[in-house]
Amino acid sequence: MQPFTYVRPDTLEQALHEAAEPGASVLAGGTTMVDLMRGDLAAPRRVVDIGHLPGLSEIDLSGPVLRFGALARMADAAEDAALKRDYPALAESLQLAASQQLRNAATLGGNLLQRTRCPYFRNGVSACNKRVPGSGCSALDGEDREMALFGISDACVANYPGDWGTALAAFDTAVEIRSAAASRTVPLANFHVAYGDDPARETVLEQGEIVTAITVRATPAGRGSTYAKVRDRQSYAYALVSAAVALEMDGDTVASARVSLGGVASKPWRSAEAEAVLTGATLTEAAGLRAGEAAFAGARPGRHNAFKVELGRRVVARAALTASRRA
Amino acid sequence: MDGGIGLPVTRRDAPGKVSGDAQYAADFPHAGCAYAALTTSSIARGRIVRIDTAQAERAAGVQMVLTHRSLNEGLGEETFAMKGGHMQSSFLPLTSDEVHYAGQIVSLVIADTQEQAEAASRLIAIDYDAQPASASMDDGDRVEKPLESKSIDVGNANAALAISPVTIDATYVTPAQHHNPIELYATSAEWREGRLLVHVPSQWVMGTRMGLATIFGIPAEDVHVECPYVGGGFGGKATILPHTVLIAMAARRLGRAVKLVVPREAMFTVGSFRPATRSRVRLAAERDGTITAVSHEQAGQSATIDHVSFAVTEVTARMYASPNIRVRESTVATDVNTPGFQRAPAEAPGFFGFECAVDELAVALGMDPVALRTKNEPARDPVGNLAWSSRKLTECFARGAELFGWSRRTPEPGSMVAEDGALIGYGCATACYPSASGPSAARIRYSADGVCIVSLSAHDLGTGAYTVMGQIAAEVLGVPNHLVRVQLGDSTLPSGIIAGGSVTTSSSGSAVHVTALAVRDALLRAAGGGELVDGFVVSPDGSRRPATEVLAECTSGFIEETGVWKPDSISDKQMQNGLAGGMAFSSALGKYATYSFGAQFAEVRVDPLLRTVRVHRMVGVFDCGRIINPRTARSNLAGGMIWGASFALLEETQIDRKRARFANTDLAGYHFSTNADIGEVVVEMLDGSDTLANPIGTKGVGEIGIVGMPAAIANAVYHATGVRVRKTPIQVEDLLV
Repeated sequence: MQPFTYVRPDTLEQALHEAAEPGASVLAGGTTMVDLMRGDLAAPRRVVDIGHLPGLSEIDLSGPVLRFGALARMADAAEDAALKRDYPALAESLQLAASQQLRNAATLGGNLLQRTRCPYFRNGVSACNKRVPGSGCSALDGEDREMALFGISDACVANYPGDWGTALAAFDTAVEIRSAAASRTVPLANFHVAYGDDPARETVLEQGEIVTAITVRATPAGRGSTYAKVRDRQSYAYALVSAAVALEMDGDTVASARVSLGGVASKPWRSAEAEAVLTGATLTEAAGLRAGEAAFAGARPGRHNAFKVELGRRVVARAALTASRRA
Repeated sequence: MDGGIGLPVTRRDAPGKVSGDAQYAADFPHAGCAYAALTTSSIARGRIVRIDTAQAERAAGVQMVLTHRSLNEGLGEETFAMKGGHMQSSFLPLTSDEVHYAGQIVSLVIADTQEQAEAASRLIAIDYDAQPASASMDDGDRVEKPLESKSIDVGNANAALAISPVTIDATYVTPAQHHNPIELYATSAEWREGRLLVHVPSQWVMGTRMGLATIFGIPAEDVHVECPYVGGGFGGKATILPHTVLIAMAARRLGRAVKLVVPREAMFTVGSFRPATRSRVRLAAERDGTITAVSHEQAGQSATIDHVSFAVTEVTARMYASPNIRVRESTVATDVNTPGFQRAPAEAPGFFGFECAVDELAVALGMDPVALRTKNEPARDPVGNLAWSSRKLTECFARGAELFGWSRRTPEPGSMVAEDGALIGYGCATACYPSASGPSAARIRYSADGVCIVSLSAHDLGTGAYTVMGQIAAEVLGVPNHLVRVQLGDSTLPSGIIAGGSVTTSSSGSAVHVTALAVRDALLRAAGGGELVDGFVVSPDGSRRPATEVLAECTSGFIEETGVWKPDSISDKQMQNGLAGGMAFSSALGKYATYSFGAQFAEVRVDPLLRTVRVHRMVGVFDCGRIINPRTARSNLAGGMIWGASFALLEETQIDRKRARFANTDLAGYHFSTNADIGEVVVEMLDGSDTLANPIGTKGVGEIGIVGMPAAIANAVYHATGVRVRKTPIQVEDLLV
């Protein structure tokens, strides 16, 4: 960790001014930021603590648009009875993430900004275009079992690790952003950036901008949703493959489908291909597997992660079957 | 009496650990302490051609920067533990410009604060001349070196394999693994008037003392190693890690205490690890299941800088009655930090392949795997024809099968299905661990206030030594548990034994036993004869008086004795060396063959679509001789079984072969079991004292728990799925067929 100045503003406005300073970074729950700083992967000169700011931690599920304050804790949403009932995919994605201790501390806004667990990014030594732009990508010819299959480039194949962001991608989600000068709302689909030549850039967030809320357009498909996650162990591990599926059913037939994938892409990954196969289909395991096959048709596997295509096909099928039973 | 042998006395160290009072190595304060930060090599092999420390030396608070250009010291006469010394490696970093492995320490910055040391270490600029390197034993340029002295031949296994009606020939691999204790490696060192005080997590304080004394050319009495608690050792803290020497050197030069806490990432390369293995197992049998040949060839990963071999085949050769036995050992040198001990170093990886092969033989014979093992139970050691000091493996299998419900098993793979559709698999395996012992001393003071203090420099790694050492004394002296005190982990105490090879209770426990007998005899002499019964001296005339009354009449108010115990096969000279901090173990093969045994069972549940595996339950029944404390023994054995589940399904240090470095060097990438991964764990220990092993009748408990579990789980996965996975960890991709 490198020396820094810690500031704890009293209001969001003050925080936005502080965050606009060059070299400033925002600290909310701290579960990602402190980890990055201790590993020398982030070295802010000024740390702006917003974790205590009032008015940013409400969860409001009552209106036509669900609203999650950026400072709401993962645990608060994971344990929210209405969310569990009406949008089980969202609640499950949080429940299956991290550990209880981390969920108690980590915020919903910060969660979207998690950085990859790619070991070459984390180890501080190996060539990594994300850590040292232009230095190369060690994962391309190294250990790539956990790497991504979608949204990658020859500069970077790292995975987006988040579960919450993945589940949100199945819905009509937007991210509310404030800066000292302005505010804007960005659809989640455009919030994260797939890797091109500059994998160091992961979101559209600019210096001085703070995520203040996440919104989701209410949908009856929420009730017919699930988040399925396969990982090496039963708890406290990132997804090898995960899938959120939300369905509206007309008898045995799928009236509408929403599918997103995690553990396999550089960003939360919506699969229009899987949705197209599911929509109008009679939902059987075979149909679920066909949807999964469509989801992974465009995958670009590396040397040790091709199994994620077959595993992903099955995860989509399992999630679709679970979702259909709820719909 | 509430504190004697065989009772489930609760752990004496528990309140301190729960309350936070227990001080671990890095917790000890040192006045005016300076702090150290490491830099490690980014390349795996080559040479440092430039190292610029000027900026770092000028940085705020920096007291010293050590590199190969400024150290100018070495290990002296001290060396690698497996060459008779005490070091984790024969190579001391900073003694040359050569880089032998990725993550090698290349500089050490010492500053007034931890943050200053870390900040300055980032300012060191290093240029390397990198050479090609291989960290994997599977790399094409690696050469397998046979170890002919480890070969065993009985009869003619190859000939029997050629003519037997049923044979198995398969190769199994296990990966490199790391200990990953939650307590990080840490050293603080301080010199006071020529004497060295070291706080370091250690499984061998006497060996650490002796090694440091040799390196610094001072009498052993002038080195004090203190380590009352160890937050997970697993073999990784058994030897002196090189950075401990460097920190002591720095402290001497600075004339100031210096502390280093090793970051998690560097834990993978500044100490040892469990090396990868490859086992080819061939078995032959008659159609009735009579085994006619056992052949096991194991190759183990070693290091270019040190030769390391964990020969499991001398144990697997003794598992089954076979007229023809052939085993071979070899090693493959790789460009890695020196591998070392990790819980059941030879047995845990070696039994995976061997016991999977036995399961494959059972399948080929159409025979129940328990019945096959029982049918081939050897009456005597099949290699040396020695009698067993005790061997109740058949009873372990019988009881284990009963506890597990093995009779419910239908042999066809995939034939057992749970209500939720999960495929059920049942598997079993044999576990075995050599029961060795070595010399140990102990001191016991029994005072008029009733307090009995047992002191020796043995170690409690969370294993229960604080508790069982007191029980052994209490058994002889009849002292109530609340008056028993135990001191361990300090080199100023009478010499205990290394916490390695599952020897602590047999060795140091025997020393406590003979010392307690000496205290008893002295007490009875002071009382003018009689017997000691439940803390009372009973005179020949039948009168009773409390022992404390006799003690109060002693001039000093206490009786204190220091005793020594050694196994018969150890000479007096070996004993003296052992007590001074040298390695002195009896062999498991002396007059008798002395091993702990176990039968281990696993039930797995496999998701039929996703093919993920869960360990639903595990059962282990063990023959470990007399059990001093069923609570701590159970805990130790269950911990081993849980680690075995981790071994089977999770643990692997991935090797980036292109860069010849360990890839997943943090706890997010290196997976071991969480609570959610472990279902029910049932442990039972058969009654029985093995007094041919030692006077208290114990055999080793510490390591056997892990030994059979990886194979039992792999065999259960086969039973559930019909897929035979011949490597660990067994991962979801191995079953996506």
